[in-house]
Amino acid sequence: MLETAIQTFTSPVVLFFVLGLLAAFVRSDLAIPEPIAKAMSLYLMAAIGLKGGVAVSKSGIDATVISALVAGIVAGFLLPFFAYAILKTFGKLDRINSGAVAAHYGSISVVTFVTATEILTGQAREPGGYMVAVMAAMEAPAILSGLILARGAGGSGNQSTGEMLHEVFTNSSIVLLLGAFVIGMVGGEAGFDEVSPFFEAGFKGVLCIFLLDMGLIAARRMIDARSVTWRLAAIAIFLPIVNGLAGTALGVGIGLDAGSSAALGVLCASASYIAVPAAMRLALPEADPGIYLTMSLSITFPFNVLINIGVISAFAAFLTGITGADGGVR
Amino acid sequence: MIETVTRKRIEILTDKALQKRVTDAIEKAGIIGWTILPVSSGKGREGVWREESVMGTDKVFVLTIASEENAQALAEALAPMLTNFGFLLSMWDVQVIRGERFT
Repeated sequence: MLETAIQTFTSPVVLFFVLGLLAAFVRSDLAIPEPIAKAMSLYLMAAIGLKGGVAVSKSGIDATVISALVAGIVAGFLLPFFAYAILKTFGKLDRINSGAVAAHYGSISVVTFVTATEILTGQAREPGGYMVAVMAAMEAPAILSGLILARGAGGSGNQSTGEMLHEVFTNSSIVLLLGAFVIGMVGGEAGFDEVSPFFEAGFKGVLCIFLLDMGLIAARRMIDARSVTWRLAAIAIFLPIVNGLAGTALGVGIGLDAGSSAALGVLCASASYIAVPAAMRLALPEADPGIYLTMSLSITFPFNVLINIGVISAFAAFLTGITGADGGVR
Repeated sequence: MIETVTRKRIEILTDKALQKRVTDAIEKAGIIGWTILPVSSGKGREGVWREESVMGTDKVFVLTIASEENAQALAEALAPMLTNFGFLLSMWDVQVIRGERFT
């Protein structure tokens, strides 16, 4: 456990994130220019999609892949109901805001997933390439549950819902992630070799700078935060712990290796701060972005990167240890 | 002395994600042209915001010039969205050359 924590905190990717947090807290003028941050996020999505696609072209689509996909989609759909119940009771949020926040906690954060993949790979527990597809599949179901919770089952048939669904399924991260995944599958390893100097050599470096930027954004939003109460802050820590452990157990339960189970746990633990806020802005404009963005981006995201990924990884190793499943050492 | 006419210049601050709703409303109000300007940061009733295109929280200014009548039609069409989406709408009189181009 301690060893895992030390590994997390010696990873340059995580340290750059910490640097971003610190820089913002001391009010440094450090900033990554917006177009560069945007370009880095596109590069990361393309690289992740490609790598996942290539891995699946090697391993093929088998029962494990299908069951991981189904588990991810079901979890994505159900997690918001759990979150909603807690937000409404302990969090004392109204119905609209509870639904909006719940959607964030069912959906996923690509950056958390990538950081987890880096950390897990460093611990010889690399998740299967198909987890990228699971991640893409988990992006949208929670938005649907969140809207049902906020609006009631019958109340979502207005014009803005169509616009919102279009936004969700055509948003740049989904299109690029899935597009690159298919390209990776079609091209296979031979095709990847041609482009790997660009997508592989630069990957970790770009991820470092991108996380530096995310650290800056997360901390600056935390400094400006006003609408988040201590109860909501506690929920933003509690949900990723519970969801993460449940997701990991689910992964082990359906027979995934330790790395992939941990990755599923991280996906369940992570909260969206890109796709879902954009969708909520269109579909639930009455909900307060100051609540959902601050919770998911400024509390849950740093908590996951700094602490929870290590916990989930150790838990996955522990569970696969007792069930006698593959330890994930590749 | 060149001849000028009075028109309304309308300025709308909106989320980039909602830009299309605004430009659709402009065209529906019978106004031909509009211009989008990027903005970088600001502060409003809900606190400070910054251009964060990675998360899609960036905003834009939509500018348009219209006749008094169409400007009122546009303001009415956008009024219900102002509170919900935190738009900012302001308009004022400006002098334009070639007034027939601004309906």
